[in-house]
Amino acid sequence: MLTKFETKSARVKGLSFHPKRPWVLASLHNGVIQLWDYRMCTLIDKFDEHDGPVRGIDFHKQQPLFVSGGDDYKIKVWNYKLRRCLFTLLGHLDYIRTTFFHHEYPWILSASDDQTIRIWNWQSRTCVCVLTGHNHYVMCAQFHPSEDLVVSASLDQTVRVWDISGLRKKNLSPGAVETEVRGISGVDLFGASDAVVKHVLEGHDRGVNWAAFHPSMPLIVSGADDRQVKIWRMNESKAWELDTCRGHYNNVSCAVFHPRQELILSNSEDKSIRVWDMSKRTGVQTFRRDHDRFWVLGAHPNLNLFAAGHDSGMIVFKLERERPAYAVHGNMLYYVKDRFLRQLDFNSSKDTAVMQLRSGSKFPVFSMSYNPAENAVLLCTRATNLENSTYDLYSIPKESDSQNPDAPEGKRSSGLTAVWVARNRFAVLDRMHSLLIKNLKNEIVKKVQVPSCEEIFYAGTGSLLLRDADGVTLFDVQQKRSLATVKIAKVKYVVWSADTSHVALLAKHAIMICNRKLESLCNIHENIRVKSGAWDESGVFIYTTSNHIKYALTSGDHGIIRTLDLPIYVTRVRGNSVYCLDRECRPRVLTIDPTEYRFKLALVNRKYDEVLHMVRNAKLVGQSIIAYLQKKGYPEVALHFVKDEKTRFSLALECGNIEVALEAAKALDERSCWERLGEAALLQGHHQVVEMCYQRTKNFDKLTFLYLITGNLAKLRKMMKIAEIRKDMSGHYQAALYLGDVTERVRILKNCGQKSLAYLTAATHGLDEEETVKNHSYVFLKVHSDINAIAAKGKAGQMAADLDMDAPGGEGWGDDAELQLDEDGFMDAQEGLGDEGVGREEGGGWEVEEDLDLPPELDLPAGAGGGAEDGFFVPPTKGMSPTQMWCNNSQLPVDHILAGSFETAMRLLHDQVGVVNFGPYKSLFMQTLSRGRTCYLGLPSLPCLRSHPQRNWKDCGAKQGLPAVGLRLSDLISRLQQCYQLTTSGRFEEAVERFRVILLSVPLLVVDNKQEIAEAQQLITICREYIVGLTMETERKKLPKDTLDQQKRLCEMAAYFTHCNLQPVHMVLVLRTALNLFFKLRNFKTAAGFARRLLELGPKPDVAQQTRKILAACEKTLTDAHQLNYDPHNPFDLCAASFVPLYRGRPVEKCPLSGACYSPPYKGQICRVTQVTEIGKDVIGLRVSPLQFR
Amino acid sequence: IFSPVKGCFKWLQGDVDELFDVKNAYYIGSYQQCINEAQKVKPTSPEKETERDMFLYRAYIAQRKYAVVLDDIKTNSPPELQAVRMFAEYLSSQNKRDAIVADLDKKMAKSVDAANTTFLLMAGSIYYHEMNTDAALRTLHQGESLECMAMTIQVLLSLDRVDLARKELKKMQEQDEDATLTQLATAWVNIAVGGEKLQDAYYIFQEMSDKYSSTLLLLNGQAACYMAQNKWEEAEGVLQEALDKDSSHPETLINLIVLTQHMGKAPEVTSRYLSQLKDAHRAHPFLKDYLAKENEFDRLVMQYAPTATA
Repeated sequence: MLTKFETKSARVKGLSFHPKRPWVLASLHNGVIQLWDYRMCTLIDKFDEHDGPVRGIDFHKQQPLFVSGGDDYKIKVWNYKLRRCLFTLLGHLDYIRTTFFHHEYPWILSASDDQTIRIWNWQSRTCVCVLTGHNHYVMCAQFHPSEDLVVSASLDQTVRVWDISGLRKKNLSPGAVETEVRGISGVDLFGASDAVVKHVLEGHDRGVNWAAFHPSMPLIVSGADDRQVKIWRMNESKAWELDTCRGHYNNVSCAVFHPRQELILSNSEDKSIRVWDMSKRTGVQTFRRDHDRFWVLGAHPNLNLFAAGHDSGMIVFKLERERPAYAVHGNMLYYVKDRFLRQLDFNSSKDTAVMQLRSGSKFPVFSMSYNPAENAVLLCTRATNLENSTYDLYSIPKESDSQNPDAPEGKRSSGLTAVWVARNRFAVLDRMHSLLIKNLKNEIVKKVQVPSCEEIFYAGTGSLLLRDADGVTLFDVQQKRSLATVKIAKVKYVVWSADTSHVALLAKHAIMICNRKLESLCNIHENIRVKSGAWDESGVFIYTTSNHIKYALTSGDHGIIRTLDLPIYVTRVRGNSVYCLDRECRPRVLTIDPTEYRFKLALVNRKYDEVLHMVRNAKLVGQSIIAYLQKKGYPEVALHFVKDEKTRFSLALECGNIEVALEAAKALDERSCWERLGEAALLQGHHQVVEMCYQRTKNFDKLTFLYLITGNLAKLRKMMKIAEIRKDMSGHYQAALYLGDVTERVRILKNCGQKSLAYLTAATHGLDEEETVKNHSYVFLKVHSDINAIAAKGKAGQMAADLDMDAPGGEGWGDDAELQLDEDGFMDAQEGLGDEGVGREEGGGWEVEEDLDLPPELDLPAGAGGGAEDGFFVPPTKGMSPTQMWCNNSQLPVDHILAGSFETAMRLLHDQVGVVNFGPYKSLFMQTLSRGRTCYLGLPSLPCLRSHPQRNWKDCGAKQGLPAVGLRLSDLISRLQQCYQLTTSGRFEEAVERFRVILLSVPLLVVDNKQEIAEAQQLITICREYIVGLTMETERKKLPKDTLDQQKRLCEMAAYFTHCNLQPVHMVLVLRTALNLFFKLRNFKTAAGFARRLLELGPKPDVAQQTRKILAACEKTLTDAHQLNYDPHNPFDLCAASFVPLYRGRPVEKCPLSGACYSPPYKGQICRVTQVTEIGKDVIGLRVSPLQFR
Repeated sequence: IFSPVKGCFKWLQGDVDELFDVKNAYYIGSYQQCINEAQKVKPTSPEKETERDMFLYRAYIAQRKYAVVLDDIKTNSPPELQAVRMFAEYLSSQNKRDAIVADLDKKMAKSVDAANTTFLLMAGSIYYHEMNTDAALRTLHQGESLECMAMTIQVLLSLDRVDLARKELKKMQEQDEDATLTQLATAWVNIAVGGEKLQDAYYIFQEMSDKYSSTLLLLNGQAACYMAQNKWEEAEGVLQEALDKDSSHPETLINLIVLTQHMGKAPEVTSRYLSQLKDAHRAHPFLKDYLAKENEFDRLVMQYAPTATA
């Protein structure tokens, strides 16, 4: 049982929950009705009009009304919005015990000690029916939640069920006019009653205090002074006692059905609340108070909440936790719902049940810890008696049918909490407060005593957070030591940020955010319960309380994002979305507006551009933001977007930005502004601005002084003039004094009638004008030195003040004790030093001794031992390395190169494709070799270890390994593009080189299927065609073209080139060359052939047009001027060495790798195309796939 | 509110190794941190002080700051540190190596103080550098510390004796399964075993970098695991991180040479890393092997010739 709220008051006799708002009404024995908000824990209102105890109380389901009934015989109907009693229903002749609204009709049902039950119409404010029959006090009467029935309980030891369908028909059938009660019995003229007793339930042998209907089944529960709770069943014709719950040892005051579960709650004057299992009729839970008898129970119509009233107040409680157990990893949420472990993919919102949990615990899963490496979960279950708590270790099945998931066998052990601490280790806090470290087999590996630890939390690999009475400790499991401690009471949940750099510790009413080292960064206090939280991707902590989603920055800034109707449990925050689980374990996504905290975060991180962007785009500009910025010390930011000059001015002053302030001041042009600006500028030494301010404010005195201290004599003189004009005598004189202008002073004194003073002045400085002039500089100097003196004195004064302050301080503190202390400290230090020094010396001396004496003694036995061991130790021989296995397992050349077995690799290449000149293969071999081994570091400063990536690593076992090849057919094919580009741009030699590298690489491929084998062969063909063609073209360009024969040869070669199999784009170029050459040679017929072939390829329009022109020209004289060794209609192969056509049927020798053709004399030579193979060599053939060996 | 270490869980401090952080940092390859920690820690006994210095100087060696070690360790320093100095001297100059090894052989021929684990380790290291695995194993066999066993495992793995390495690992696990060294050695053996064990090895490195900090040693370990599983893209991320930490770390470069080829990058990219390696680490075993192989290639080429010449 979890108490959510408690009040202290006079005895609570009646209770009613509001169906929607978090309110509960309590009617008290002293006549007061209290309206409480149980979520905010505040008293909302008090209604004090009843005289004497109020026992009946009920909220109306829809209207802002409630009804109360008291010992003053009055039924009162109240409007809580208007906060007053609307009217009073009179009629009962004794105490009223209960009052209830009908859920549908405008009726109120009241039970009274006058032995009657009455039904009132609160709209017409009349009594519509009186139910008589009980012959003692009626303690309780309630409407059936859906049918026309009433149940009542009375001290006459009976429970009665009344049929009120007659009343409904009569009063509420269409057209019926509600009539005044006819006589007290409610019997009409024909003797038919509006309400008739349907069943009388006899079984209690003392007075019955309470009776209530089941919300959906035909059941009644009752509680009586015989200390029993009885369950009754009824049908249309009869009702009978079903069972009795015995256990209370005093009068049962109240008994109700749980609205959603198979439970009954009852409370009693024995100071206990009991929960009974309806089917087993056994007590499930008991909750006792020490001194207070219970009087009444109330169940919330929708939520799992109950209230109970007792002698000194009431409690609001629920029977069990409603928090779902969940864990988040990456994009996955794991949570428990209805005995299933479910998995929710945040991205796809795919929600599947991954396994069924073993049953057998009556308690719901309390918490969960998920291990992504092993795909295993720990589910902890808390029992009422903590010592009986258990946890289950499950390995989640890899694949499961969501409709009917597997129920794998878990491993169950006792323990309070179990949390993963590493991939294959978890920690269990057992009931003896030991920390057990267990492995995946649930076996104990290590045990650590942690006596005061109450709870453990996840804290990353190898660490735990331990909670004790007043703090949380970061504990290293491996070293068994605590690393840091932070004080915070009763942490309930711990939420780590994704990178585990921050952690939020959640207590009931507090949140503390710490860094990885558990140093507290901020503390937040909440008045309402803190429920859950998650870190968003920018490092803001989003959390929920019972009624809000809030945010907290690590700097401590926090605030409300939005309100909530019901508590939710945040699982993840991404952008504007808050993913959460509600109390029914339904995954939900709520949308929030993150602007506020993003803004603040950007501010904290000093990303002002982001701030400004947000301000401009989100239209945040407002007084509150400016005030916030100002308060938080960012006036310079606020300055950026404040338009209002006045605010701008004060912000600028605040951040000391004189320029902006000046601008604003100019715009404002107010005296007070100039004054403030002047002060600020003076402090910063901006004397030009100060001057301007003084000018604007016409502060002549200050201006004069400013000129004096800045030494601006010209302006000072001007000031003197101004003073004269203003007839400001003293100002005038002062300026003259500052200027050292004695004549002026004398003149002023004279003018203002101070003749004697004028004389004195003149006399002091010399009578005649010359003298006056002479002394001018002197006085000026003197004034200056005076000022200096004053300044010096000021300084001295400061110093003196310092001294003064010191002196009494010294006297006040300088007593003997301090001196002694000091001396002691000093002495200690000295002693300490001495000791240390001596100690070290001794140590050194001792070591020397040891060095002298001990080694021989020590050495001997050790040596002997070592020798003996040496005798036994046989160094192992070298094992079989993976590379050796590769050679054994494969006949493909590349595998041998990767293994570093060049000799066998060469043999294979020689036998398979006839390589005899390996020189060009060198770089390919070395490259290939270098990708066969990765390395990793073992112990520091040692040569690294080697690992050998294998292509069949998953299932090769120890012996069947084959190297990862690292050369893919697709990569080679893509490299062709580069070669094509080089060809297009006419860099033939480079292109040939590249084509050749590709060609040579083909035998070093490993491919998987026949198609790829064919593709590899095709790749060779492409390379060959290009290499032959481009080589020939290079050759042709080198040839002289002086004689006709030479020209003919050139044309022949150009013609042969058109028979290499090239890409269309290249063929166009080749054909154009041939066409031009032949046209020039006046071999129009052949040229026309080229032109037609060219047009077939669809060249660019301009090329096509020109070609057509040439073609037209050719067609006029369709003859060849010269005889050439070229017959376009007779198929031929081109000899790659001599570049002559080898017409079909004539003997030809081929390169075993490239397939290039040669005339027979070249047999045995190196192939011109590959430059590595021998022409006409007898070989096995290209082998690039294990398929070719089967 | 924050109070460091002291306080409620003080009773837990009993069997704590005061040098844990120093050693741990050293083993995971966080050498500067090891040096920092060593300078911070206040050993409670002279033995601990020596042990601390041993790790301090070895961390300097791992950073190739041999001069610090050679200057700091004097002839009157404890024998453990003398051994460290010997190793530093061996690594610092190529031409003194033969003399040092000869000297070491002499020392080993006599009787050795088996309690001076540091000496055994340093001797083992030198022999291992010399590729004299027999001598290395014989030396390490005399020690019983975790590190001796770990080094034995490393030597055995270099000999492709995974079977024996596993046995040795079992011994380590019996002594202290959760020790950092045992965990690391488990990872090495797992990489050598391959198959499903590769993922376990990866997790070990990952857990360590989660728990402490990611280091070149751990990152290259992860990269090796990834590459052994042909997860090239993942390996690229890890190696990039390693490259950011130190752009001329030899093992990182070697792994990048492997990786870039497997990812089908242009041959120039690969050869760039190779040149970088040749530039900075001429004496690295990888390059020694590489050059030897080049010579072998040149020799083998001679065995083939076309039957006719043009």
